[in-house]
Amino acid sequence: MEFPDLDELQWLEMNQQEEEEEVEEDYPVELQVEERKYENEDQHFESEEAIPSTQPHSHSQIPSNEKKRPRSPPDTDYDDECVRVRVRVNVRPEIEIHHQNYDNGNYLSRYASEIDGDCVPITAPSGSGSGSGSGSGERVYAKLDNVVKKFNMPTISSSGLISKSVCVLLQNAEQDALLKALQASSEDQNTVLPQETPVMTEKLWVNKYAPRSFTELLGDEQTNREVLSWLKQWDAAVFGNGIRNTEDEVLSALRRHSSLPLHQKHSSVSFLGKSRGHTSSGKYTGTSSMFDQENNGPKGIDGLQNKMQNATLDQKVLLLCGPPGLGKTTLAHVAAKHCGYHVVEINASDDRSSSTIEAKILDAVQMNSVMAHSKPKCLVIDEIDGALGDGKGAVEVILKMIAAEKKSCVGSEASIKEEQYGKKSSNKGRKAVSLSRPMICICNDLYAPSLRSLRHVAKVHVFSQPTLNRVVNRLKYICSREGMKTSSIALTALAEYTECDIRSCLNTLQFLHKKKESLNLVALSSQVIGRKDMTRSIFDVWKEVFQKRKTKQSRKCDVSPRETYDTHGSLYSLVSYRGDNELIFDGIHENFLQQHYHDPLLLKTVHCLNALGVSDLLHQYVMRSHNMSLCAYYPSIIITIHQLLARVETPTIEWPKSIKRYRSLLLEKLERLRSWQTKIAPYISRHLSVNSFVEDTISPFLHILFPADVRPVAVQLLSDKEKNGLAQLVGTMVSYSLTYKNTKSDSSANNLAHNGLMDALSLSLDPPIPGFVNFKDYKPAYYELASAVKQLLVYEVEKQKIVQESTAKFIHPTDCSERDTTAARDKERRPESTETHKAAFDYYNKDLTKNKSQKDVCKPHIHRSASSLGSSGSSADVKKLKLIGNVKKPSIGSFNFFDRFKKMGHKGCDGVDSSEEKLAGAEKDGRHLLFKFNEGFTNAVKRPVRIREFLL
Amino acid sequence: MLWVDKYRPKNLDKVLVHEEIAENLKKLVTEQDCPHLLFYGPPGSGKKTLIMALLREMFGPSAEKVRVENKGWKVDAGTRTIEIELTTLSSTHHVELNPSDAGFQDRYIVQEIIKEMARNRPIDTKGKRGFKVLVLNEVDKLSKEAQHSLRRTMEKYSSSCRLILCCNSSSKVTEAVRSRCLNVRVNAPNNDEIVKVLEFIGKKENLQLPPGFSARVAVKSNRSLRRAILLFEACRVQQYPFTNTQAIPPMDWEEYVTEIASDIMKEQSPKRLFQVRGKFYELLVNCIPPEIVLKRLLSELLKKLDAELKHEVCHWAAYYEHRMRLGQKAIFHLEAFVAKFMSIYKGFLIATFG
Repeated sequence: MEFPDLDELQWLEMNQQEEEEEVEEDYPVELQVEERKYENEDQHFESEEAIPSTQPHSHSQIPSNEKKRPRSPPDTDYDDECVRVRVRVNVRPEIEIHHQNYDNGNYLSRYASEIDGDCVPITAPSGSGSGSGSGSGERVYAKLDNVVKKFNMPTISSSGLISKSVCVLLQNAEQDALLKALQASSEDQNTVLPQETPVMTEKLWVNKYAPRSFTELLGDEQTNREVLSWLKQWDAAVFGNGIRNTEDEVLSALRRHSSLPLHQKHSSVSFLGKSRGHTSSGKYTGTSSMFDQENNGPKGIDGLQNKMQNATLDQKVLLLCGPPGLGKTTLAHVAAKHCGYHVVEINASDDRSSSTIEAKILDAVQMNSVMAHSKPKCLVIDEIDGALGDGKGAVEVILKMIAAEKKSCVGSEASIKEEQYGKKSSNKGRKAVSLSRPMICICNDLYAPSLRSLRHVAKVHVFSQPTLNRVVNRLKYICSREGMKTSSIALTALAEYTECDIRSCLNTLQFLHKKKESLNLVALSSQVIGRKDMTRSIFDVWKEVFQKRKTKQSRKCDVSPRETYDTHGSLYSLVSYRGDNELIFDGIHENFLQQHYHDPLLLKTVHCLNALGVSDLLHQYVMRSHNMSLCAYYPSIIITIHQLLARVETPTIEWPKSIKRYRSLLLEKLERLRSWQTKIAPYISRHLSVNSFVEDTISPFLHILFPADVRPVAVQLLSDKEKNGLAQLVGTMVSYSLTYKNTKSDSSANNLAHNGLMDALSLSLDPPIPGFVNFKDYKPAYYELASAVKQLLVYEVEKQKIVQESTAKFIHPTDCSERDTTAARDKERRPESTETHKAAFDYYNKDLTKNKSQKDVCKPHIHRSASSLGSSGSSADVKKLKLIGNVKKPSIGSFNFFDRFKKMGHKGCDGVDSSEEKLAGAEKDGRHLLFKFNEGFTNAVKRPVRIREFLL
Repeated sequence: MLWVDKYRPKNLDKVLVHEEIAENLKKLVTEQDCPHLLFYGPPGSGKKTLIMALLREMFGPSAEKVRVENKGWKVDAGTRTIEIELTTLSSTHHVELNPSDAGFQDRYIVQEIIKEMARNRPIDTKGKRGFKVLVLNEVDKLSKEAQHSLRRTMEKYSSSCRLILCCNSSSKVTEAVRSRCLNVRVNAPNNDEIVKVLEFIGKKENLQLPPGFSARVAVKSNRSLRRAILLFEACRVQQYPFTNTQAIPPMDWEEYVTEIASDIMKEQSPKRLFQVRGKFYELLVNCIPPEIVLKRLLSELLKKLDAELKHEVCHWAAYYEHRMRLGQKAIFHLEAFVAKFMSIYKGFLIATFG
């Protein structure tokens, strides 16, 4: 058993070496390719003509790879570890083929169906990558072979299972792939249709006939112009000196919408401008490294111009939105090119996490490449609403940059003077993150939640459909170019059908053309031509519900059944694609009463509400039974409502907030009630139910809590009757665990009405149960207490609570019935503890403390624990206590108002037995350390205290 | 302490209102053969009071010593474990809980707690009472599944555990559960009984009651004893000695509904309906059940309505209330009723006044 192991080790070692070699060997190649990629990147966007020029390059490159490969032929069995390494480093499309090409079977095919067994799709890197492909991104399927690991003796010779050695096979395969690649690339240039791949070579008409210049644009002129003028506004900032007042050369250059030579002009222009306008600054001594600065240069220098530009261009981002296929992306590209920008596009397929996108944006916006063709860049972020999580990153970054801009804008105002003197460098460093290049964002749904914040800062352009005529004309032109026979009627129908989505029109046409069919109306109506799924924004859905489609002039006379069928059908599909049924109904409910439909007898309203009710029932049923198939009936309800309420005018629609607000508020209030209920003692709370509390308890309860006859005076000034009333009120409040709390009173407007002297802090009930009867436009009948009364109550309640706590504490450890009764008596404020006092000495202590705790309101916790400690201890402890206590007598000096109050309070309320007082008086008065921190008040007793007093 | 709590009868002897029921319950206890019980009746009629008194009768004063617990259960439900938390009140002899608080997981609660009780069955030295009592509140809000699971467990563990169910309407308790219980219908007390209670309290509190005053309170109370006593105390707090002309404080939400009703009577248009919707939201937000709102609104509207319309309006109110209970968004149905009423009323106005 050991020998094979050894062998294995050996083999493994070799393998590892081999692996390393592989990596090393591949490294330079990869680098090379990377470099090339880098070079090509800029050219890639410029024009498609650039690609062929790079191709000879790549041809020469590949043989060099070839040469390197056989240098270290894999002399072991072909192992999949090796494969893994190769796959990892692969930049060449042909590598994948290596390990599958054992024989000439159907291992590699263009169609997956031709391969039996597992297969992997392999896509040739397109365009700028290695340059070996034709740029078409060819896709082939390769059979996955289960390469069996053979851990046998390393066979160096080629006497394996296959006749040829692996390296030979590999070479063959590579050559094959190369040939194919060459073929493919030549195909593209010659437009010779090779027999095997007829489909792949033909360009999509959409791309073929995409507008190249501004004048070719199809869409709404107005929008196009506005976009262009917005871009032009950047000129001052981007191209240095204002274009209008300077060189005719530039203007003419811009007028000629040729994109290629422009960058040169631009650079020359900026040089010119510099030499002409700002020779005095003398900053730009023409070193080539200054290129980088140059772009920012004009901006930094022309402080005034910068300001002007800031004033005009307050919205730095353009947000284009509209349904798909209207040419938003095309417009952005064409307009940017037209204005002499180099377009950098970031779309949904790119990595859009916030860090990468930030780097990208910074790249685009601030850097200028050192290359000769340094056009300023214009950033186009496509489908910004697309991926929610990642797209948000983009939006955040943009917002951050805009915010930075605003900040630095303020700063630059201040530092303009400096700038005029030519000290611009410091300011520029700070502006590092700001936006200095135009940025165009494109989205389909303007109201996507992730775009909410962007919407406020960006200049928004909503795309409208291009006019039917223009679309049809263009389609006709394209058809004639392609040699396809169509009628304009059919084209019109097609355009209407796709809602002027020119992309889908073209795709449809191309599809038909391919099938050698001609476009006819029958094909349109019968669903031969696929119709795309349209998800529209929810606002569109609501709008559709409330708005009648404008009927054509020709059919104005009567609404034909087909027409109604059409609108219903479209509404049906609209709703069912949207799928957010509950929200749709909420929106309808929220808005339908605001629509000015004619309904004198409210019959429509009733009908509509009935329909809404049905939707609710349906929803509930679906939810309960999980019978989702019934969801199919939602659209029909919506069609009913549409039929009832639709009008020609554009409706104003609001987001349904109130029902959400209602739900969250209801939950919050229920929760508040529940938590309150748990705080109340169980013998009361079990009879309260959350549901019927507001229904039949709260109003009288509030009346009881706010008696009108409590005078805000000290307790001892009250008559017996009033005292009783107060005691009862306090008892109620304690048993319902209510108290007053300081709150910031912006809500208690009526509170202020009662006593105008109230400042920001006011006392209100906690938990805030009066909130349950504060309906809008309704003045509840209960009487609001004066704040002095409330303060009085706060203290009384606090006191009562402490009394109850302490009594409860003493009841618990000794469970005998006698205790029970005394406790009950204590609770009822009949201090008959003198009897128990006499009864037994070891009870003496406890009763004493009980009495005391009853008397002394503000007894701190520490003291209570101290006294209970004492009570559990021997009588010697008590004496000690006495001793200490006597020292502390003057502590209750009534130097603050509330203290006085309290003392009076308990005297008045408790009706203290005087004899008892005498008995326990001396030690009691002395023993207590009276302090309490009153939150929010300044009447905390301040007095130096020794630490040992606490330790007792 | 409020009078409502203070004068709540602690045992079955002191019950003032449902004396007959109390009598029967007492007999059940003395015969030692207490079946499962289902108390049902409108709120404020005294169901809970009766239940508590019954428990005291069964177990003596120790039944009143309850502690509040926040219990958590871990239930194995097939593939996953569900954790549920619920607040319970429990003494040594009984457990009291509100299973509908657990929402859709209520059935686990019911099963678990009954099993748990059966497991640690109290062993009495005298062999007197070998069962615990489980008090379930708001059974009508239990889901159907929970009620179904209840019906088997009720039988299975009947030797160790008695159930006392409490709800407002027995119609929402399944037939199966109802048939396993002794149903006790607790009526809302009529005005005479309320007067009797109020006068009893007045005597205890040494109050001077002018003749007819308690009757007025009773009328205002809408046959809810709790409300009557609360109102009585509110009156006492607001003004004492009582006078015959003394205003009895109204329920705030009822006043608000009255406002809504007069709004509706004044104008019938979608715009007005929109305002009414805002007011409905106000009521609903403050935890007033929509059914109650609808009921109150109907009675307010009926006050001002012509006799010939009353029947129709009542019909529609019932119709929409039914739909409201079936559905989920009460506001839709409330509004639908108002719209219907507006439509009917407007049509009526046009027909009569041209």
